[in-house]
Amino acid sequence: MLETFHNLYLGFAVALAPSVLLYAFVGCLIGTVVGVLPGVGPLAGISLLLPATFGLDATRAIVMLAGIYYGAMYGGSTTSILMRIPGEAASVMTCIDGYAMARRGRAGPALAVAAVGSYLAGTVSIVALMFLAPPLASFALRFGPPEYFALLLLGLLVLAYMSSGSMVRSLAMAALGLLLGMVGIDQMTGYFRFAYGVVELGDGIGVVPVAVGLFGISEILATAGQARPPEVLKPRLRELLPSRREWRESFGAIWRGTGLGFLIGIIPGSAHVISSFVSYAVERRLSRTPEAFGKGAVAGVAGPESANNAATSGAFVPMLALGVPSGPIPAVMLAAMMVHGVTPGPLLINQQPALFWGFIASMYVGNVVLLILNLPLVGLFVNLLRVPYPLLYPGIIVFCVLGVYAVNSSVVDVWIMVAMGLLGYVLRKLDFEPAPIVLGLILAPMIEMSLRQSLAMSDGHYAVFLTRPIAATLLAVGLVLVLLSLRPLVTRTLDWRTRLAMVEKGEEL
Amino acid sequence: MTALRALALALLAACALAPLAAAQDAYPSRPITIVAPFPPGGVADLHARPLAAAMEKVLKNPVAVVNKTGAAGAVGMQFVATSRPDGYTLLLALSSISIIPEADRLFGRQPAFTVDQFEPIALLSADPTILVVRAESPWKTAREFIEDARKRPGQISFSSSGVYGTLHMAMELLSSAAGIKMRHVPYGGAGPAITAILGGHVDALASGPAAVVAHIQSGKLRPLATWGDRRLASMPDLPTFKELGYPDAEFYIWAGLFAPKGVPEPALAKLRDAVRAAVKEPEFTGAMEKMQTPIAFKQGEEFRKFFDADARRLADGVRRVGRIEEKK
Repeated sequence: MLETFHNLYLGFAVALAPSVLLYAFVGCLIGTVVGVLPGVGPLAGISLLLPATFGLDATRAIVMLAGIYYGAMYGGSTTSILMRIPGEAASVMTCIDGYAMARRGRAGPALAVAAVGSYLAGTVSIVALMFLAPPLASFALRFGPPEYFALLLLGLLVLAYMSSGSMVRSLAMAALGLLLGMVGIDQMTGYFRFAYGVVELGDGIGVVPVAVGLFGISEILATAGQARPPEVLKPRLRELLPSRREWRESFGAIWRGTGLGFLIGIIPGSAHVISSFVSYAVERRLSRTPEAFGKGAVAGVAGPESANNAATSGAFVPMLALGVPSGPIPAVMLAAMMVHGVTPGPLLINQQPALFWGFIASMYVGNVVLLILNLPLVGLFVNLLRVPYPLLYPGIIVFCVLGVYAVNSSVVDVWIMVAMGLLGYVLRKLDFEPAPIVLGLILAPMIEMSLRQSLAMSDGHYAVFLTRPIAATLLAVGLVLVLLSLRPLVTRTLDWRTRLAMVEKGEEL
Repeated sequence: MTALRALALALLAACALAPLAAAQDAYPSRPITIVAPFPPGGVADLHARPLAAAMEKVLKNPVAVVNKTGAAGAVGMQFVATSRPDGYTLLLALSSISIIPEADRLFGRQPAFTVDQFEPIALLSADPTILVVRAESPWKTAREFIEDARKRPGQISFSSSGVYGTLHMAMELLSSAAGIKMRHVPYGGAGPAITAILGGHVDALASGPAAVVAHIQSGKLRPLATWGDRRLASMPDLPTFKELGYPDAEFYIWAGLFAPKGVPEPALAKLRDAVRAAVKEPEFTGAMEKMQTPIAFKQGEEFRKFFDADARRLADGVRRVGRIEEKK
């Protein structure tokens, strides 16, 4: 314990050196910009800027890249709240209630809650990272394909159990998402599936173009289709900060989101995105006013935003403690370390203590920088809403096209975005929620891959899911959830879902 | 600034397909683009960038790197194969350049490109894969490993970077050379494949030395043998499969520079000279040293021979694996 503090002191000595501080600041600034640009998420941001760090020394380069990473996670909420355009996949849930809040003139509070939630989640999970990294990392390694499959299945069940409104409609959309997720090279056999000769479809349909299309483009189309343009919002200064009630409602959501995000973030794989989906579902279930979700519930912003930032720190646990990537972004960070002659791995902490602890300390510093950077920007960003629609919307579309194109330099991605925008418009007219499509698209390849890897490991025996303790436990929890949701059928009482649906229809209980 | 530059370069690459006024001036008179068909931070990218920096110095002409990713590299390779053969669009390819068209053929697809569409310019590095197992595992030597695999066919499992991927092919070449059968669990990339063996979810892995050296030093993994034709300078105690009596188990993760076929000879000659000088520049040697990847420079006939032999081995390997069908 004492040693950790001593090391941290060493780390702060590195992180607060003016030149390192400068790069942390630059990283956070670039990250915020990258996050704000629609379509360009943290992965694209880090990848594009990695070559720019080749001239720096290792510590500065890593500190700057990490700044871009969590800066982009912060910035991703901005466009989601203001324009319903998810900056990256993790912000999809923020679009729903964040944008609803903005339409009610509460854009400022939504942005402020997102920033403060991200700050708290970031800081708390770094503390957790520091003290828990070694034991947690070896636990995380025990997550092989069977455990991962069980976790994803549990995630799906939690979401189905906790979603509201028409179950049939949600499931239909989730199924559509799962179908879209089937496109691309079959990772286990090498077959092209549903690619119709388009080589670019070999990698499957990207989440970013789909999310930007379904949420952002469809919103613009819908607004353009209205007979009378919506009033331009004129946010007043005193409405920038959340009210006392809004703080109270977000408080618990932030802590729950932090815990959830950190734990999901540690597990190797790319499940980080689902932390924000699960957090949203949990908040809605725990809320005393679940009917407010989707119409601007502040907890629906606070929870997912905290979760996705905590997951960012969680993802660093296996990377720093073991030198194994827990997802695509840590993988690029690992490559960056290799470029600078730092061999990531279990020996890193002993061989390069200044780099390791400097990096940890710089994450504390970075989170403070981001808070200082983002809170004043709330006022500036909110004023974007004053721009008249005939100017604002074409501008947004230009940025969407540029952003989606830049990620893979792929025109196919742009067409996918356009098609998804049209689909989103139709679905909106028919009153379907687009979020389950995105979730299905994210989960489909992961569920399929982990199921088939598990079976490859066990030579085709399904018992592999029951003989491994972690996987069996997760599946048992899932089974309990299924039974719980079946209870009302047996006891003939109204469960919360039915009550919620009735409240939404305005019926008396 | 840099983001803008990267974006501008990406746009520039997209425009490169548009017909440009044929330059009559001496080559090179405008920026050269090296296409890395994998994302930034990948092996191809980490070769392309220092090489571009060094070539820029030698040619006194801008050389840019563009990452054109997709379909395990097929998108970028196809892009270069069909680009104008004027010497301004080059490709930094890895071994998979020989695997992709063969796999396409196997599935009865129109290949996105063929190896004949490329003119090999230079080989930059060729790192043999090494066989690693977990430190707790019972096998102390490659011989024990192979004997056990022979006794229990299909019981020892290995992870790979993906089906028909480089790490998969290395294991398949060993399996066919030693007459053994192992269980394949593909992952999406080399990183997750390493995580899988560290977590004990598979028994063995073929990997480039640099990616696992830290785990060998920390005592988590044990190397058993290398696929190289001679021992590694960094691990002189590690035997080669050739020494152990399996000369067909030879495999390298290599990186080389290619141009589309049909580039005029003067431009090619200029490029060859530039690369030969560039690999000696500190920009390039320093970067390779940090990645712990020894430079293996080959050019002309020497490279062509290496490339042809490698392509033949890999094509054989792909055909031997055959189509992966579902179990009945």
